[in-house]
Amino acid sequence: MFKAMLIKEVILVLRDRHALAALFIMPSIFILIMSLALKDTFSNERALLNYAVIDRDNTEQSELLQKYLQTSPVLLRHEITETASQFQDLGVGDNLQFILIIPAGFAQQLSAVKEDARLLRLEVSSDVKQEVLTIFRAKLSTDILRLRLGRMKEELAPFVPDIASRLSGIEFTGDGLIDVHFTGMEANQKPTSTQQSVPSWIVFGMFFVIIPMSTIFINERRQNTLTRMSAMNITIPALFAGKIIPYLIINHLQVWLMIGVGVFLVPLLGGDALTLGHSVTGLIMVSLGLSLAAIGTSVLIAVLAETVEQATTIGGLVNILLGAIGGIMVPKFYMPKAMQDFANISPMSWGLEGFLDIFLRGLGPAAVLKETLALAACGCFLLLLAGVLLSHKMRRGV
Amino acid sequence: MIRVKNVIKRYDDHTALDHVNLQVDKGVILGLLGPNGAGKTTLVSILNGLTAYQEGEIEVFGLSLMQNRNEIRRRSSFIPQSLALYDKLSVYENLRFFAGIQRIDSNDVKRNLEYAISVNRLGPVLEKTASTLSGGLKQRLNIAIGLLNDPELLYFDEPTAGIDPELRNDILQTIKSFKKEGKTIVYTSHYMEEIEKICDQVAIINHGRIVREGSLTTLLQEEKSDAAVLELLHAGKTRLAAIAGKIEDVDIVDGSTLLLHKADARRLSTLLVHLESETITVRKIRFGATNLESLFLRLTSNHRADV
Repeated sequence: MFKAMLIKEVILVLRDRHALAALFIMPSIFILIMSLALKDTFSNERALLNYAVIDRDNTEQSELLQKYLQTSPVLLRHEITETASQFQDLGVGDNLQFILIIPAGFAQQLSAVKEDARLLRLEVSSDVKQEVLTIFRAKLSTDILRLRLGRMKEELAPFVPDIASRLSGIEFTGDGLIDVHFTGMEANQKPTSTQQSVPSWIVFGMFFVIIPMSTIFINERRQNTLTRMSAMNITIPALFAGKIIPYLIINHLQVWLMIGVGVFLVPLLGGDALTLGHSVTGLIMVSLGLSLAAIGTSVLIAVLAETVEQATTIGGLVNILLGAIGGIMVPKFYMPKAMQDFANISPMSWGLEGFLDIFLRGLGPAAVLKETLALAACGCFLLLLAGVLLSHKMRRGV
Repeated sequence: MIRVKNVIKRYDDHTALDHVNLQVDKGVILGLLGPNGAGKTTLVSILNGLTAYQEGEIEVFGLSLMQNRNEIRRRSSFIPQSLALYDKLSVYENLRFFAGIQRIDSNDVKRNLEYAISVNRLGPVLEKTASTLSGGLKQRLNIAIGLLNDPELLYFDEPTAGIDPELRNDILQTIKSFKKEGKTIVYTSHYMEEIEKICDQVAIINHGRIVREGSLTTLLQEEKSDAAVLELLHAGKTRLAAIAGKIEDVDIVDGSTLLLHKADARRLSTLLVHLESETITVRKIRFGATNLESLFLRLTSNHRADV
């Protein structure tokens, strides 16, 4: 019986071009677009801070400070004229956030130990966020310390001849001082836009089973095919099982297709390749849970709606709402705390967290068990509710 | 084969079936006649175990429907009025699917498929998608699906609705052929001539009650065919009631139809004069309504379920 239902459902989906587009093409395109569009957001090569320097000291020390600043990949230097020392003097379109003015006498003051000494002047654009200012100030302070250390070594050299070799261990060597390791990733790996995009759009795409499922289910109801099947001793649980099995398979095909897009297609277009986590079992667990939740939602909407148009409209809206709330459209880490808490009401958020645990955090089955069970329970509850409602409708001949 | 005793079915405060009694013997074609909303579909639905009923007893194949629903369904088949099939599947895919979901012995599946295909002459169109078939072929496929479990009992719910007369006749002959194979058939229809053509037994249902039941031959012998049916324009039940009160043996079929029994020239001209005085236009007069139609209209007029 289930074999016949599986074949029927698969043939009907394969012959529905709109359904195929919604299930496979749309999420793949989303993955491509979002992975490429957000590539720079996740790259540490991207310049975050734009600055310019006006050097009125013109000493070896002031030039060294500028050299240190230029070693940072997150800082992008712009050239301006000496007179443009205020932002209002600059033309519209300059992305400058900071103008660093190195005053005359900077080199002399470097070694002077005065608590209220102001070595540099910083002009800051009024739209710069405080955290950005803090990052730039920290960078400047570090570079000034580096200059001071260099000066100290020069001054102490006559008294301590081997000071250079003694202090070589505490030289500032930029990022090399700290070994950064992203949890769950290899030593040289880092999060990429593809790692973020693929899980999001897999989740979103899986919920689009609503389109083929509701179209087929509502036509079955309207054409009395369900009544006929009921007269052939097909019970509602058997009917639902006949829907669950094919769409579990379809959802899994979606997952692997989209992983394939992330691994092979995105890099071909210049994006970062998706790296799989360490747990295929965990991936399958989350996929199964998410698939059940998506199928439960789809069946319930198909039972509640009277027409295909209603089902696809309601289904589309529900998907977009669940996606917006659940961190698909806007990653949760961009949301304020209250919204992040609110996001947890969406099953898409549970599924997304599960996939991120696998793809981004490199965790395994134990880490995703909670999300998997929650998703499966949600799916079962929705299917049960749909079953009760369908049974009631069929008894009343609706 | 089917025994229905005092069955009552209520929907909230509406009684759809009111103490229905019916008996259908093996090998018989029963015509279930009734206006829209009379209770035909409800009765067929109950007999197929699709709708529950509140009171009464039903036995099919000598088995209680309440306790043996699955067994009864396994041995019978319901062919709904709407084309309950998949438009995007081919004829063969449809048949394979509906055969596959039923618990049919694997040895019988092939034989039943061949039987359903040959009886309905679907061989040449097996690979065609159902949506591309003509209305008649779609109905044949609809019937073929109902034959896949080789049923002893078949329920047809207005199978010729919306089909042109030539194909309708063809389908009627197919249904009639099932009788020769010993199958029992319950056939609902609005078309009297269809019932007269293929049925042995008739049950007329109105307002949820069986108002007449018996063999077609007996019922037709009892009914005299001297009636005329008058189809009217701009009438209305109130005005027709006033006219019917003035002339003997005039029944109001609905708001625009009158049935005149003993329609001789004198009585008919009197009725026409009354209609003229009420400025009611006569659109059509049909003499010699079939005996069954006459009986049906007489039994269901005045208080027809769909008026």
